[in-house]
Amino acid sequence: MYRRYLSWRFLLRRPINLIGVVGITLGVGALIMIISIMSGFLEESRKTVRGSLADLIIQPVAVDLRDGHEPVSDVQPLLAALREDERVVGACPRLSWGGMVVQTSLRSELRLKDPDRADVAFAQFVGIDVEDEFTTTEFRTWLERESAHQMPVENVDDPFARPEAWRGDEPWGWVVVGEQLARSHVLQRGSLVNLVTGVPDSTDDKAYLSNRKFFVAGTFRSGDNETDRTSIYMDRWELADFLSGTHEFTQVLVKLEDYERDRSSIEHSLMGDLSTKGLVNPNYPSQVRTWESFRSSLIGAIENERVLMGIMLCLVILVAAFTVFAILMMMVTEKRRDIGILTALGATRRSILTIFLMIGMWNAVLGSGFGALLGVWGALKIDALEQWLSATFGVQIFNRNVYIFDHIPSDVSPTVVTATVLGALLATAIFALIPAWLASRTHPIDALRTE
Amino acid sequence: MTRPASPPVEPASAAASPATPTAELALSARGVHKSFRIGNRAIEVLHGADLELRRRERLCLMGSSGAGKSTLLHIVGLIEPPTEGSVHLQGESAWTLSMGGRAALRNRHVGFVFQSYHLLPDLSALENVVLPARIAHSYGTYAFEKKRCTAEAAEMLSDFGLGDRLRHRPSQLSGGERQRVAIARALILHPDILIADEPTGNLDTATGQKVLDLLLGQQRERGLSLLLVTHDERLAERCDRVLRMEDGRINGQPSASPG
Repeated sequence: MYRRYLSWRFLLRRPINLIGVVGITLGVGALIMIISIMSGFLEESRKTVRGSLADLIIQPVAVDLRDGHEPVSDVQPLLAALREDERVVGACPRLSWGGMVVQTSLRSELRLKDPDRADVAFAQFVGIDVEDEFTTTEFRTWLERESAHQMPVENVDDPFARPEAWRGDEPWGWVVVGEQLARSHVLQRGSLVNLVTGVPDSTDDKAYLSNRKFFVAGTFRSGDNETDRTSIYMDRWELADFLSGTHEFTQVLVKLEDYERDRSSIEHSLMGDLSTKGLVNPNYPSQVRTWESFRSSLIGAIENERVLMGIMLCLVILVAAFTVFAILMMMVTEKRRDIGILTALGATRRSILTIFLMIGMWNAVLGSGFGALLGVWGALKIDALEQWLSATFGVQIFNRNVYIFDHIPSDVSPTVVTATVLGALLATAIFALIPAWLASRTHPIDALRTE
Repeated sequence: MTRPASPPVEPASAAASPATPTAELALSARGVHKSFRIGNRAIEVLHGADLELRRRERLCLMGSSGAGKSTLLHIVGLIEPPTEGSVHLQGESAWTLSMGGRAALRNRHVGFVFQSYHLLPDLSALENVVLPARIAHSYGTYAFEKKRCTAEAAEMLSDFGLGDRLRHRPSQLSGGERQRVAIARALILHPDILIADEPTGNLDTATGQKVLDLLLGQQRERGLSLLLVTHDERLAERCDRVLRMEDGRINGQPSASPG
């Protein structure tokens, strides 16, 4: 087919004609690589966030209600009702309370060396029932997870127990802290931490500070930066006592038999069931939430970021396609006489159009082909690539301490690769059509007279 | 190449006469008008020109610049449509055919030789010669013909003294060599008609003579009909008939070919 033959020869005539190929390669490669990394990031974040919670979070309104509905204080009826539900395979109560951790023994010299290390910081106290927690959440896995900074508890089945070898007779309870919190406060097994929090006084609408010391039994590693940096787990009754018995639980975590099956309907139906039984206030619908809606801002932010990156890189591909348009316009002017010669030799207008359209499509096919290879290779080898770049230029590109992930996650989707390649082909075809059409409309006699 | 002795001389009006049997005609044009519009002004270039080209005939078209020779050549060569009139080629009214049908007719039956050679600069001499065959066999059949066409083109170029220039680009060839490549390209599909628009116009006398010998020799050897536009009286002398154009018309006066 002479059209293919001539289009190829015209394309290779000058190296500058291949600039479109380079542009499309970079655009397609970058789009596939970034979308794959963002998808991997999103998937990893979802796993981590889901792991730090459970499928469902039930947070009964815990304040005195004006409509006369009594706040739920005893969690057992709620747990019993949930466990009766055939969709539920596990439920655990939690008492979650904000406060501060104060490390008095931290030496100022150490703080000066590492500003990340703090002596006073916000902390989330989480009181749990260990057995119920293990059947519902991934807390046991966190305790057992191995890492360079992990300080495992002595007995995973009873993580808050005083170690057998402990000879002291202090009355303080034992807590398990997030791995990063332990690092920033230079905590060891057996370190003493001061926890401070505000406790409401039901008698005069005021709050007072409560301060108590705890021993560190070990650390956990959830993988969620926020949790590992701020959370301190302890026995629920220990925390309730720390809060002077004002609260026994703040939320119930639920594990479902099939989350994917029930995710769309369970919030509404479970809310209805529990409010019928008087276990939650029907006037506050957001008391039953899936983990996705509970952390929707984080997941939504990553998803938005992925879409924005996609849009920006699509623009890069459009710019590359426009380069093809510009080169083809230049080529049509340059090849004017050739168009006349081809017409004299028997080429039709449609053939001329096809030749120039094919030049554009060579750009698209080569560019998107190389780009797809580059993008997939880059997404699969991003870790090694990042380490090489960091080592070569001495700049840390991906801070593993911030994201917790040991590697840069990436998820190469054949759909994304196919859609990107097809998009590049379509965009280039549209851009190439205009100069190709102009070439086909060239008057052969005028073209032959071109010097 | 020797010209036949004392060729018959006919008046132009008689040459265009419908009395010539259709089977004897390679090409005929009747009542061809052509006007161009420049702004609001219409410029009439051809005023009802008639032309007949007989089989195996050398017909020379002469005239001053702007007389309409090239325009008539483009119309009978099916590159440019007439405003009015008809062109018959291979027994078909060519300008009533579809664009594709006309392109195929032009490709198969008309070989062009231009003053400025008009070779594709990106292709070698051999590739330029093979190009009309590629266009003729454009729908996949070229693969079957490629070997034969390439061998034939190479042989023809060797016969034309370009055996060592097959892979050279036009920019690496002299004017005479380029024109020989253009002649080979015009002949590769064994057309019935050869249209040459001042084929020696860009060449020096000696080179032009050699190119002309080649062109006319091939025309005789292959039994082609040649329609030649030239200003060169010496070239016209070697043609069977000479028609003169003036103001868009073929002169009614008989134009004797000296000799």
